[in-house]
This record gives sequence, structure tokens and C-alpha cells, in this order.
Amino acid sequence: MDNTIAPSSRRVVIGIQEPNDLDAPELPTDPLPLNMGPSHPAMHGTVRMVVDVEGEKISSVDVQIGYLHRCFEKESEFATWTQVFPYTDRLNYISPMLNNVGYAMAVEKLMGITNQIPERAQYIRVIVGEISRITDHMTCLGASAMELGAFTPFLYMLKAREWLFELLEEVCGARLTVSYMRIGGCAYDLPSGFAEKLRDIIARTREVLVEVGKLLERNRIFRDRLDGIGIITQADCLQFGITGAVGRSTGLAYDVRKDAPYLVYDRFDFDVPVGSVGDNFDRYAVRVEEMRQSMRILEQALDQIPAGPHMINDPRIVLPTKAETYNSIEAMIAHFKIIMDGIHVPAGECYSYTEAGNGELGFYLVSDGTGRPWKCRVRPPCFASTSILPNLLKGLFLADVVPTFGLINMIGGECDR
Amino acid sequence: MSTGPVLPTTAGSNAPPPPSTTETVTVTIDGKVHQVAKGTNLLEACNAAGANVPFFCYHAGLSSPAVCRQCLVEVKGQPKPVPSCYTPVADKMEVQTATPKVLDVRRQMLEFTLVNHPIDCPICDKAGECMLQKHYFDWDGKLARNDGIKVKKAKVVDLGPTIVLDQERCILCTRCIRVCDEVAGVHQLEMSKRGDHELLGTAPGHKLDNPYSLNTVDVCPVGALTSKDFRFAMRAWELHSTPSVCTGCATGCNTDVHHSRGRIYRLVPRVNEQVNKHWMCDEGRMTYKAVHADRLVAPMSKSGGGAVEWDKALDDAARLLRTVLDGSPARLGVVFNAQSTNEDLYALSKLAFDHLGVTRAYLAGRDQGWSDKILVSADKNPNTAGAFAVGAGRLKTLLDLANDLKSGALGALLVLGTDGVLVGDKASAAMPLDRLEALVVLSTHKNAVTSAAHVALPLAGWAEIDGTFTNKLNMVQRVHPAVPAAGDALPGWDALSHLARRLGATMDFQTAKAVFTEASSKLAFLKGADWGRPVRSVQLRFANSRG
Amino acid sequence: MSQHVLDRLKAQFTNGEIVDTGSHVGDEWARVRRDAWVAVATFLRDDPSTKMEMFIDLTAVDRFSTEPRFDVVLHVYSVSLKHRVRLYVGVPEEDPTVETLCGVWAGANWFEREAYDLYGVRFKSHPDLRRILMYPEFVGHPLRKDYPKEKRQPLVRRQPGTVD
Repeated sequence: MDNTIAPSSRRVVIGIQEPNDLDAPELPTDPLPLNMGPSHPAMHGTVRMVVDVEGEKISSVDVQIGYLHRCFEKESEFATWTQVFPYTDRLNYISPMLNNVGYAMAVEKLMGITNQIPERAQYIRVIVGEISRITDHMTCLGASAMELGAFTPFLYMLKAREWLFELLEEVCGARLTVSYMRIGGCAYDLPSGFAEKLRDIIARTREVLVEVGKLLERNRIFRDRLDGIGIITQADCLQFGITGAVGRSTGLAYDVRKDAPYLVYDRFDFDVPVGSVGDNFDRYAVRVEEMRQSMRILEQALDQIPAGPHMINDPRIVLPTKAETYNSIEAMIAHFKIIMDGIHVPAGECYSYTEAGNGELGFYLVSDGTGRPWKCRVRPPCFASTSILPNLLKGLFLADVVPTFGLINMIGGECDR
Repeated sequence: MSTGPVLPTTAGSNAPPPPSTTETVTVTIDGKVHQVAKGTNLLEACNAAGANVPFFCYHAGLSSPAVCRQCLVEVKGQPKPVPSCYTPVADKMEVQTATPKVLDVRRQMLEFTLVNHPIDCPICDKAGECMLQKHYFDWDGKLARNDGIKVKKAKVVDLGPTIVLDQERCILCTRCIRVCDEVAGVHQLEMSKRGDHELLGTAPGHKLDNPYSLNTVDVCPVGALTSKDFRFAMRAWELHSTPSVCTGCATGCNTDVHHSRGRIYRLVPRVNEQVNKHWMCDEGRMTYKAVHADRLVAPMSKSGGGAVEWDKALDDAARLLRTVLDGSPARLGVVFNAQSTNEDLYALSKLAFDHLGVTRAYLAGRDQGWSDKILVSADKNPNTAGAFAVGAGRLKTLLDLANDLKSGALGALLVLGTDGVLVGDKASAAMPLDRLEALVVLSTHKNAVTSAAHVALPLAGWAEIDGTFTNKLNMVQRVHPAVPAAGDALPGWDALSHLARRLGATMDFQTAKAVFTEASSKLAFLKGADWGRPVRSVQLRFANSRG
Repeated sequence: MSQHVLDRLKAQFTNGEIVDTGSHVGDEWARVRRDAWVAVATFLRDDPSTKMEMFIDLTAVDRFSTEPRFDVVLHVYSVSLKHRVRLYVGVPEEDPTVETLCGVWAGANWFEREAYDLYGVRFKSHPDLRRILMYPEFVGHPLRKDYPKEKRQPLVRRQPGTVD
């Protein structure tokens, strides 16, 4: 029986009656609704996509988020300003330090004490923040590569991420649930030997990036699934509020660290990489380069960091020492008031924004003058980038969902809050 | 056999007392000129003008002894800072409330107070609502300079049936002594000894046992006096506060309900100069206990064999009432209750009088009790005035109810609130409820009446609903829901609306506010009354609402 | 910093569309009348001296027991001129509606869905006003101040008799 089918044809033919009739029109098909997620290997972060496919082609997508909604705002309204820190850890949970920093700076802005934060604390914030940015990008790239079949780069990346996590663990005792920042500074000073360890890890991480680059960047399979797929334009970014690596991959050179420098970012020499096409590969490449730039910042910060206190000097913000607390009524009261009553933030509202792993992480705080937020809104950067997915995925092949979704880097904890 | 609630012969008027003569003086406070009524004390004038002058011993409802020296301010022409709580304003007075000297004196006084204060915050009932904590944090903030031995005093002194004293925590402000002297009118507490050995205790031959004793706990700025009822029950900062009205008697003291996680822990007075000023009686404070005891939590139906769904209970109730109504409408009676809110009473009157044409209506309520000239009324119902106003002369007494039951004039009874409606034992002869063909009862609590009822519907209590009560001064006062309703209980107006619809009446209230709005357009005593805005429970630690 | 944006707004809209403006801890804000919400937003985006081309954030605030009860809060940014501004529009409890901004910045879509989901503010002519974080069966709007934090609405009922 002669049933030859041209090997290059993508068409799937079922039940061939007349094998020679390959040029006949395709069988009429109905769009097939297909559920991806919420529990699906490629849907990291628990998101559900209801995809209508016509053959392999996506005709429409409904992206449904909210599976990781943890009532961040509602819980915050019932917590003191300080008690919100652990909740922020769990926003973008692979760069919790950046969320900590963003929130601390927002409260400090509302209290009007931004310029009283000791310099050392500001440097520490930059250092732990940039470390977190590297771990964030590594997880995104490693996981995306793995989902495309490249398991080795994933392991390499996680190996390097582990070095950095262990370093953060030395700083604050936790890898993820760091809660390291405080209103007015940070909880502890850096441990001894931190600088040397970090320099060593930076050197080794650079090598890992080279290795990973060799494995991926000229890999036919990897490039075929990234190049030209999922193109976002600059106009889209503005319309949808897409910032961060996804925004910069389109050539939109918006980086809060450069455009509105906070902490001590204006003292560092670093570049903001931008892409030219806005496709998946640009998002990959921008992230790789950003890790290199972060390491540049880290090295400069380690050179510049001054000695000094790591907390503001204000007894109404800083807890007294435990020895004082247990042995004098004065410190006991101060401790009690700060813990139970909360640090009082003057009534008012502010929007404070920092460059987090996924872009502009904003905190819109409303205070009624008491020890807890009236409202504590997070502007999650990946919420904006995820919201473009329905438009972006339309017309792509089903298989393109995996790299496109992966490199948008939707983080459930941050997107759903 | 009681006759049920009666309206006091001298009902007060709604009008505020005539204003006193408003002679003012000119006072300059922190550089700003203010006109202040003559005779005001300087502390009140300063704080009314927006200054933040702290105090321990001063209390707005008591006299001022000027012992704590926290409220010192500088007055031009005076060589030393003066205690503002003890100084009446004078014309052309120039006052500075926050000069470096004042702040320094204030801080030093706090330091003296703290020298002997025990490190008790973690185990102190008052922590979180403590004035000493607040003032230290606001005005001192310095660490201890002295780690000498603190003076030891008695930690547990039983002052009476309601109060325990910790003498170490006492900062000797004498507020509690003045509460007994000036509010309860009995001298039961006294200071003894001197200096840092000065002690609070009961006066010789006395116990702290007056009916207003728990007010001493409220006014105590620290945790020296603790209520035996509340002691160690709950941390103050875990409590949420919802404004309400005491339902213990017809006075209608304004209260704050302090609750946490759906449970009430205490009632405290809320300031209302026209009703209770700053105080309330001990008996009223304990009314919260009934909210969580012996509640009827699910609808009960005899034909359903016990607890049933609301729909089933309402269907049964409507069917039973309908049977009697269809036979002879005059044999249906309704019982109003002076414990119910105006909204529940209005809903019942609308159903009974407007829709069912009921001719036999009665008013039940708690029996008369003791009273005094301070706050406690003999009428132990919170809404007698409202019930009489809603009833508008159509309500008969419980004595009539007993007679009608005995004569067999009643075949069915719809009871809103069971207080005062007695069955069993010696009252069974007076109230033979078992002769009824249909007894439908709406009740907050399980009792003999609900067990006798053919259908018993659970009512949400005063701490669980939105509504208004009318006190003996004819003031319409609002209660707010503090805790969720017990079990499946519904507010009375809601349950009655459901029942009314099953009886073919058009009554479609969705909210208590809607009932109130309709009622206030029809009933004279509610005209001009304001429903007010919704309130949120305030968590005490953040609000600093006390102390 | 962005005061000139507010000045420009006040000069452009002179019929009371800009209810109030101000600045707090370095954030400039303007309160917009409800019927001018889209017009002001479009102007901010298109005017060459404001050029707010980037949508940043949209949310709501429940100012419980004040009138109007809700504020819809918009943050926008100009990438080219590097200034940002916050806009409020008051939304009363009885009629919690306001025009959608989806036509001005497409990204407002999900943010408005979230504000609707959590605060119950309805955005008129929104293309797809569904819940986004909560599930469709959810009753009420959880970030309203009168929604109790302890309230549970489990989709799967537990066994009768167990405590929630």
C-alpha cells in the first residue's frame, strides 16, 4: 500500500482513504478546548490556561490566575507595619529580599525617614537585593531551559543559586522566608567574612553563566523555540505597564535603578541591557546580561560599603536589646509598644517603587496614623506582564506556550498575592 | 405573677438640658488665642485646643487632686510649671504646653513613676491599654538610669467580690478612691503610708463591694486593679471594640462590647453625658454572659422532631398559625417583648396589626427589680418605651395574657422573645401554654417556653444585630453587631419577614436599616432619629481607645 | 517633581473636573470628578507636556464611613519625561461605578478586574469584568472594610458538625 506522506509535512492525517490525495482541503475541525493547569509541569506558579486550539494553533486563551491568592492585603490590614515583612517574603518568593527592601522603603517614605537610614544599611540592602536578582533570573532561566528539555543548564543554574542562597542564609538565617529588612534598616549586620565569600561566589557564578551560555545559546532546539516567538512591542509594554526584563527585552530602557535611583544605586557604574526584537530569546539574553551587571554592582558595593550602624537611631522604631527589655520597665514598655502597638506611621499615602526581579515593584500604602496599614497595596510587576499573555499567545503553537510563559516569569506568589 | 413591663410615670424628655451661661475668657494656648468657657479647667481647655497634655490622675468625670504631676504646663507669670488639671482658666492666661522645660519635667515625673514599677507587662491585664505604657512611649523613650531594687508590695490583694489589687503596679493616682466617693457615694478605698511605701487599700471596716466597683478597673490607668471576671481571660490587644447599648435595664447605658473571635469578654461604658456619663453598673457589665449561654441555635419543630432547617420550621409555623387564623382570626394572639429592638417590634406590629388583623396583643418583659438614684432603673428591659410606642395602646399585660389563656380565648400565640413568658411549676397554672393549638416562639435562648412551643425559631441577640433601643429618656440608641449570630439565629425582623411571606403578607425587609427607615416614617417616637453610619470593630491595641 | 503635571491639568480642566490636587512625601496627586475620569486620563496620556504613556497601577481604597466610600486610584508614568502622578476618583457606595480605562491603557483590564473582584467597584463598558483572584462562586468583596477577615467561604463543604 502506497501511503507515503511527505516527511516535512506538519499535517496529521488520520484514517487515510486515498493516500495520494494529499492536496485535498483539510478536514473541517472544531476548536478544541484544552486545560493547561492549574497543576501542570509547565505552569509553575499554579496558573490555569483554558486554551482553544485549532490543530496546534491557539485561537484564544483565557489565563486564570488567583490559585495562589493568600489575601496579602487583607492580612496586612490586620498586622502591624512590621508584621507585613514576612508576607512580603512570599510575594516573589525567589527574590524575597527585593520585596523586603521595596516594602521597607515604602514605609520609610511614608514616615519621612528615608534620608535617615544609615549608609551601611543602604549598602546592605543593595547587596542582598542584587544577590536576589541573580537568584531570581537564574531560577527563571534554568526552569525555562528545563521545560524545553535542557536539564543540565537547570542543574548548573540551581547549583549557583544554591551558593547564593546559602550566603543569604548566613546573613539572615533563611533561604526564602528571610524577613531581613526592618523599618529603619535591617535586622542584623552582615556576618564576618561575607565579602570574601561573595567575591568567590561571584567568580564561580560567572563561570556557570559561561557554561550555561555554551550549552544554550547556540543550541538549535533551544534557539528554534525562542527566536521570534512571543514578540512584545514597546507600545505593548507601555499600554500594559510591563517593566523589568520583559519590558527591556523590547528595547524600552526603563529600569527604576537608573530612572529614579534609590538607596545608593547612583554610586554604581552599571549598564541597563535592552533587547531589540522583544521575543523570547531577547528576554533570555536580557536576563543573562542583567545577572552580569548585578555582579558588577555587587563588587562595587563590596568595595564601597562603609562601617557603621545598620539601624536608624530612634527608640520609637528600633527595639531595645533583650538584656534591657528583661531587666528594666522602660525597655520592657518600649519593646511592648513596638511589638504590640506597632510602629506608628503618620497618616497619609505614598507610592514607592523599586526594581524587583520582574520589574517595577510598587507599594501603595495608606496609613490612618495607627500602627497598622489602612491599605497595603502591592503593584506586582508580573501581574502586568501576565495580563498580556492572552494577546501574546493567540496565534502561536501550543508548544510555544511553554517557553513564552516561562520567560514572562509569572510568579504565582507575586501575581496572586 | 408579674404584669410585665410598665412605663415609668415620669418619662424624661428628649430635650437636652438647658445650656449653662456661656461666659468666656480669652486664653492663649501654644501661641493661639482661644475663647474658653469660664471655669473650665486648663487641662480640658488645652486638649480641646488640640494640645496633647498627658495625665494620670485627672479624669473627665471626677474631681482633680493634682497628684500625678503629668499635666504640668507653663503659664506666663508663674514661677514653676502648674498642674493644668487643677488650674481653672483665667482671662488673658498665656499657656505653653510643650516647652523644653515642660517636657523635661514630664519625663522626670515618668521616671519617678517607673522607678518602682514592676516589669509586669507580659503578665499584666492592662498591657496594651495602659496609660503608663502610652505616656512613657510618647513622652519619655529613654532607657532606665537606675537598676536598684524596687520596693516590694503585695501582689494579690482581694478587695472585694469583684476586684483584685496589685499594690506594686499602683501609681497612686487615687482615681479609684474618687470613683467610689463621687460616683457610688461610698468611701471604701483609701491610701495609707507615705513616699514610695504609700499603699492603696480598703478603708478600715470596708470592702470594695459597691454596685459600681468595676468602674475602678476602667479608670485605673495601670493594671493595679483587675476585674475578677476579666482577669487573665484575654489580652487587651486581642480585643476588638464595637459600640453598643447595655440591655440590663431601661437606662440604656452606652457601652463598648469588647470581643475577640466571636466571643464577648467584657462590656465597658462608653461616654454619653446625657445617659451614663462615664460609668455603668457591675450588674450591667455581666449581661454579656447570657449572649453565650444556653442559646437556641437551630429552629425547632415538634412535628419535625427537633432541630430542623429554617424552611421547614417556617413552613410548619405558617401552617399552624394559618389553621387557627382560618378558623377564627380573633383566637390568634401575639406577644411583644420589651427586650426586642424597635426594628423587631415594628416588624411584628406590621405583621400582626396590618397584615393579620390581630386583636389580642400583649407585652412581655423582665420583672421589675432594684434601682438606685445613680444609674440602675427598676425596669429591667432596654426597650419598654419603644415597645409601648410601637404598640400604641394596643398592648395588654401579661396578666391579661394569663387570663385569656385560661379562658381559652386564645388558640394560637406568636411570641417574639420569651422573657417574662412563664411556663412550668407554679406559673403553669397562670400560663397554660400547653392548651394552645399553635405556639410559635422566636427566642434567643433555650427555655421552658421554647420546649413547650410547636415551633421555636432562634433569634440573634443584641450583640449580634443592627438595631435600636429606646431608653427611659425616650432616646433612640443604636446597637451594632459585635459577634456573629449564634448558630443559625436570625434577627427578629428577618425571621418575621420570612414568616410573613409564608402567611401571604407582603413584607420584604432586607436590612435592619430598611425596617428602621420605614418605622421612622410611621412612628412619631422615631421621627428625627438617626440610624447613623455603620461602624467597624476597632482593635484595641491600634486604637488606643482606652488609656 | 510632577507639579507641572498638576498645573497642566488644572489649566486644561477648568469646569471643576479636577476636584483637588496636592503633594505628599513627594507624590503628586489629583482628585478627578467621576464623569471626567476617562477624559482626564486620555489627556494625560496624549498631551505632549504630560505624555503619561505608561500604565502603572490601578486599585481601589475603601475609605469606610466617609463619603464617597471608595476611591479608585490610578498611577501612571511618563517614560519619556520621567514623571508620575496619582489620580483618584471617588466612587459612592450606592452606585459603585466608574468608566473603564481599558480604552486608554489596555493594561487597565486586569487591574480593573481585580478592583472589581476585591472592592466591588464596577467599571462601565469593561470588556470582561469577571472576578480574577477570587473564584466565581465567591460572595462579597473581601477587601471591603466591612468584610470580616475571619469569614470563610469554603467551596468544598466540610462534614456537618466540624468546626470551620
